[in-house]
Amino acid sequence: MGDEKIDKTIMIELSNTFKDAVSDVDVPSPNRAVARIDPGKVKEIMQFLLDNGFDHLSCVSGVDYPPDKMDVVYHVTSYSAPLVITLKASIPRDDPNIDSLCGIYWNANWYERETYELYGIKFNDCPYMKVLLLTEEMEGDWPLRKDYAGYPDLT
Amino acid sequence: MEEGGLGMGEIETELPPNVSVTSASAIQEFIKNSPLQKILNWGRKNSLWFMTHPMGCCGIEQICVGVAHYDTDRFGIIPRCSPRQADVMMISGYVSKKYLPALQRVWDQMLEPRWILMMGECAISGGPWWESYSTVTHLDEIFPVDIYIPGCPPRPEALLQGFIELQKKIVAEQDRTVIPNPADGGV
Ligand code: SF4
Repeated sequence: MGDEKIDKTIMIELSNTFKDAVSDVDVPSPNRAVARIDPGKVKEIMQFLLDNGFDHLSCVSGVDYPPDKMDVVYHVTSYSAPLVITLKASIPRDDPNIDSLCGIYWNANWYERETYELYGIKFNDCPYMKVLLLTEEMEGDWPLRKDYAGYPDLT
Repeated sequence: MEEGGLGMGEIETELPPNVSVTSASAIQEFIKNSPLQKILNWGRKNSLWFMTHPMGCCGIEQICVGVAHYDTDRFGIIPRCSPRQADVMMISGYVSKKYLPALQRVWDQMLEPRWILMMGECAISGGPWWESYSTVTHLDEIFPVDIYIPGCPPRPEALLQGFIELQKKIVAEQDRTVIPNPADGGV
């Protein structure tokens, strides 16, 4: 792990290595960087980041853009540099699925399960793709989707 | 002898003369309608041991009420760590759908007579999580609640007031506890 790489130049390297898969690279502040990635290449990109010192997957979340799109948002940081990289992958809303990162970052498991139970985004090859914090009966409700109609909850 | 056979219906034994048999529920019925019940209630009201079971941010205040500053011991209100030793359960925070079965299990472990205090908006109505997808908002339909203490969170003084109101209810026999019937295998 070369320390000199753990700064914003990682974004230049990232877009050079994955020319077709990385777009809209932006560095809005000294310690934030944003890019859009191709959902099919997410594993390779994350492996590249991990090999270059970005050893902490901080967060996996989802965004719902009805009627046709969903975003999976990854925040990757490093224990040795003050830089947070936000990567967004757009997937179709009618069949939301993306590759799991469990094999690369071990902690991706719970993040992906929570994103799954709240948005219904399926993470392929995640070994434990079931609900984490909701009850089993709520699987399939996807409560954070915009068209969820369960409010108010008169239990 | 007319009453006597009540609890012993199945067992056909010859009783010696001048011996009558009664049943546990008959004794309890007798106590309920006698001044003895008042003495029992007085004892109950003065030994409201509550379970330390902080659930939400209200739990901080719940812990506070048990410490020396508020000195609840003078009312006989003592924190306990096990539901089996406690008389009062405080629902002190939000209850999610996933947590509800565990809470019911804790409640089932408590010995009767037992009481419930609702502490804070979350427990009473869901509070800030009223429109949440995972919060149980009608706990009073699930548990026999005696006292509601509104606030977000209620101060320890308010909690103390809630306990004192509960004591008044117990003395007036207006509380919702079910006095167990020994015939049903209760205590
Ligand atoms: S009532 Fe307020 S303080 Fe109490 S648990 Fe709810 S949000 Fe927290």
